[in-house]
Amino acid sequence: MDGKKAAILGEIPRLRRYALALLRDRDAADDLVQDCLERALSRLDNWQTGESPRRWLFTIMHHLFIDQIRKVDRRGEAAMLSLDTDEALAAPAEQLDTIASREIVNALHAISPERRAALVMVAIEGFSYAEAANMLGVPAGTLMSRISRGREELRGLLEDSARRRTLRVVEK
Amino acid sequence: MTRRDFSERDIHLALDNELPGDERAGYEAWLEANPEMKARSARYASDNEALHAAFSDVLDEPVPARLQNIVIGETVANPPASRSKWWFAAAAVLLLSLGGVGGYFAGAIGLDAEVGPADRLAEEAIAAHVIYAAEKRHAVEVPASDKDHMQTWLSNRVGLKLVAPDLTEDGFELVGGRLLPASGSSKAAMLLYEDASGNRISLFVISESAAKTAGVYNEEKDGPTAVYWLDRGYGCAVVGTLPNDRLNEVAKRAYKQLVSSIWS
Repeated sequence: MDGKKAAILGEIPRLRRYALALLRDRDAADDLVQDCLERALSRLDNWQTGESPRRWLFTIMHHLFIDQIRKVDRRGEAAMLSLDTDEALAAPAEQLDTIASREIVNALHAISPERRAALVMVAIEGFSYAEAANMLGVPAGTLMSRISRGREELRGLLEDSARRRTLRVVEK
Repeated sequence: MTRRDFSERDIHLALDNELPGDERAGYEAWLEANPEMKARSARYASDNEALHAAFSDVLDEPVPARLQNIVIGETVANPPASRSKWWFAAAAVLLLSLGGVGGYFAGAIGLDAEVGPADRLAEEAIAAHVIYAAEKRHAVEVPASDKDHMQTWLSNRVGLKLVAPDLTEDGFELVGGRLLPASGSSKAAMLLYEDASGNRISLFVISESAAKTAGVYNEEKDGPTAVYWLDRGYGCAVVGTLPNDRLNEVAKRAYKQLVSSIWS
């Protein structure tokens, strides 16, 4: 196996995490990673040597994700699930072991795909603003506002679901 | 220290390590003087931690074989559908050679035999069976009554699409399953079955294997026997103390169903 392939192989766990954070569903996330790897391997020449394979792969994955979101939009389906906590809590637990982590996953999924991608790249994947702006193909100012708005929205949703949980406890 | 006015925007910069080093002290002082902003910063920081915690388990999981194969396999140019058919065909060839020896697993049938991993799989499967099949009340972590959840959970953890085989034709009902460590840093799923007379067999499934082999393994004369097969990307051992021909029948049925669920 050549060095390029070995480097790509090493990025798979990070790609899976990014895809899972974007899509929430494990199978869908791995399908996205699969598409990303297939596209990457078919364009191995586009990867400039010396450049981090991580940024190159994340850029490919982001484009695929955005394409997918647009397709879903065109079909008229809701691109985002509503934050119906009761329904979400009734859903199979998947990898989410606690109510707190389930709530943050649901909240993250309820914010717009653009804000979600920006927030995940910076807050979870640890990319700098400059790197993330570059991969997402937006100006630095746009990235910053997606991050701050995304974070505020996420917090608001979490506070809403905490309030609803308290209400339910009180009603019982 | 640079003097400037700080705002909520700086909370994000600081959290994302984008605040210049020489502004840090000024920012900290501003936070101290603004309890509301300080509380907001703490909430955002804890949300960050929660985000990390919610998704980072996936980093420690073994990479699913289907993803690894895209990079190291030679079938990159093929569309996904034909690739999975290719895998299914490879599995079918193995099944035919298993069934072909008089329908009987006589000793080890080596296909590119690599003894090490096969022995290890069989030994681990037998060790797990000896411990857990003997437990009356604590044999499984997730009972068969919660089968859907168990399958999703074990599939996610092991990295294979796992559907518990239906072995009722052989008289075995699913008791439940559990997650176990397997050699290296990988994880194994154990599915336990029981027949009407209380005989128990277990299926031990792993997702990491480079070898392609199949056989029968028996540690002690009166101890349980493991019928196993390994293919690239997965392996399974069926363990029990049944008569050999009955164990083989069950193993074949389990094998067919497991392979078709993995590549479905």
